[in-house]
Amino acid sequence: MSASIRIAALALSTLLAGPALAQEETAWGELRSQIVGAREVGDAAGLIELVTPKRAEDAAIVPLEVKLHLAPGDTRKVTALTLVVDENPAPVVGTFRFPEGRQAFDLQTRVRVNSYSWVRAIAETDDGRLHMTKAYVKAAGGCSAPAAKDPAEALANLGQMRFRVFADRGEAQVQLRHPNYSGLQMDQVTRLYTPAWYVEKLSVRQGDKPLFSMVGGISISEDPTFRFSFAKTGEPVTVEAVDTQGRSFRQTFPAGEGS
Amino acid sequence: MRRAGRLALGALLLLALGAAGPAPPEPEGYRMEAFRAPTPATLQGATVVTTAEAERLWRAGAILVDVLPQPRAPKDLAPGTIFRLPPRDSLPGATWLVDVGYGALAPQTEAYFRRGLDRARSERPDQPIVIFCERDCWMSWNAAKRAVAWGYKGIHWYPDGTTGWREAGLPLERATPAPEE
Repeated sequence: MSASIRIAALALSTLLAGPALAQEETAWGELRSQIVGAREVGDAAGLIELVTPKRAEDAAIVPLEVKLHLAPGDTRKVTALTLVVDENPAPVVGTFRFPEGRQAFDLQTRVRVNSYSWVRAIAETDDGRLHMTKAYVKAAGGCSAPAAKDPAEALANLGQMRFRVFADRGEAQVQLRHPNYSGLQMDQVTRLYTPAWYVEKLSVRQGDKPLFSMVGGISISEDPTFRFSFAKTGEPVTVEAVDTQGRSFRQTFPAGEGS
Repeated sequence: MRRAGRLALGALLLLALGAAGPAPPEPEGYRMEAFRAPTPATLQGATVVTTAEAERLWRAGAILVDVLPQPRAPKDLAPGTIFRLPPRDSLPGATWLVDVGYGALAPQTEAYFRRGLDRARSERPDQPIVIFCERDCWMSWNAAKRAVAWGYKGIHWYPDGTTGWREAGLPLERATPAPEE
C-alpha cells in the first residue's frame, strides 16, 4: 500500500470511529440503576417493537412508536411502558401505564432528542418482569431547540385539545396544546433559558375504562401528541392533564368522535 | 497508480477530511447560529494557537478557559426527575465558563464571563488567556472575539480545543462549570 493510500485509509478509519464510539452505552450504564433499580431486564423480542427513524428530520419532534404484540397464547399483559432517550439531560421521556393490561396496543408520540442516542422501550408485564428493546437514533439539539411557537401564541392556545379518530386504521390521536418548555431552550430575545414548564400527567379514558395514563418529562415535544390503538364503542372519551405549574386541563369528546 | 485508484483515493480523502473545504472568512460580527461548523483560520486581535502551542502555554502556566456550552439543570423539574448532563473532560486546570460563546449574551451571562476572566487574571496577572471548546465549534471563536472586544490582553484562541488535545494524547481532566455566583 502506498503512503498516501495508508493516510487516506487511516483518516477514513478515524472518521468512521466517531459514530462507532458514540454508540457505546456508557450513559445507560450510569442510568440503569436509577431507572430500573436492581431488577433484571429481559429482551423484549416477541413482546414489543420500537419503531424510530434512524436519522430524524427534526430533533425537536422525533416520532417514536411502540407496538405491544404478545404472541397468541401468551397470557401475560403489559401494564407499564417506559421510554428512555439515554443521552437526553432528562433521559426518562415518560412512563405509560395500562391499568387493565394490554396484549396488543400501538402507541406513538413525539420526543426531543438532544444528541445521537440509544432510545429504549422498557415494558413491564403483569408477572412483574421487565423487557427492553432499543434503537439508535441520529438527531441532535432537540431539547434546546427554540420553541416552534412564540410564547404569546403558546399561552393563548394553552390547554386546547384535539381528539381525532382514524377508524380505518383502528387508531385515535390526542393532542394537547402546551409549550412543554424543557428548561434547556434559550429565549431568543432575553438570551436566557426559559424555565421548564411541561405536562406532567395525562390520562385518556373511554367511558369508565382507562385507556392509558402517562407521567412525562421535558423530553416530550411541544404540543404533546399521542396516537394509539382505538376502537369506537359509542362511549365518550375523556382526556385529563396536569402540568408542572399545577394547571389542569380536561375535555370530554362525546361518543368518542373526533373533535 | 491506475486512474480508477486515484479517483477512489481522491473521493476517500474528501470523505475523510469531512468535506470541510477551505476555512470560512471572519464574519463582521459574532456567529449567531449553526455553531457546529468549520471556523475561520484567524481571529483579529487574538493569537491563534495549535495544539503544540497550546501545550507549551499550558506547561508555562497560561490561563485556560473552556467555553463549551452546557445548560444548567432547570430549577422547575418535577421532584424525582433524573437529570444527567454528559461529562466534560477538559484541559487540566481549565476554568469552564459555559454559554459565553453564543452570538449574543444576556447581561448576566456577560457579567459571568467577565467575572471568570477577571478572577483568573487576578490570580495569574501576567499569563495569556487561552480560549477553546472543541474543533469546528464557533463558541470559542465568538468568546475569544468578545474578550478581545472587551479589551482583555493576551487572548489566544485554540480552535482545535479538546478535540485536538485528545488526539495528541495529552491529559484531560473532568471539569465542572464555574458557578454562576
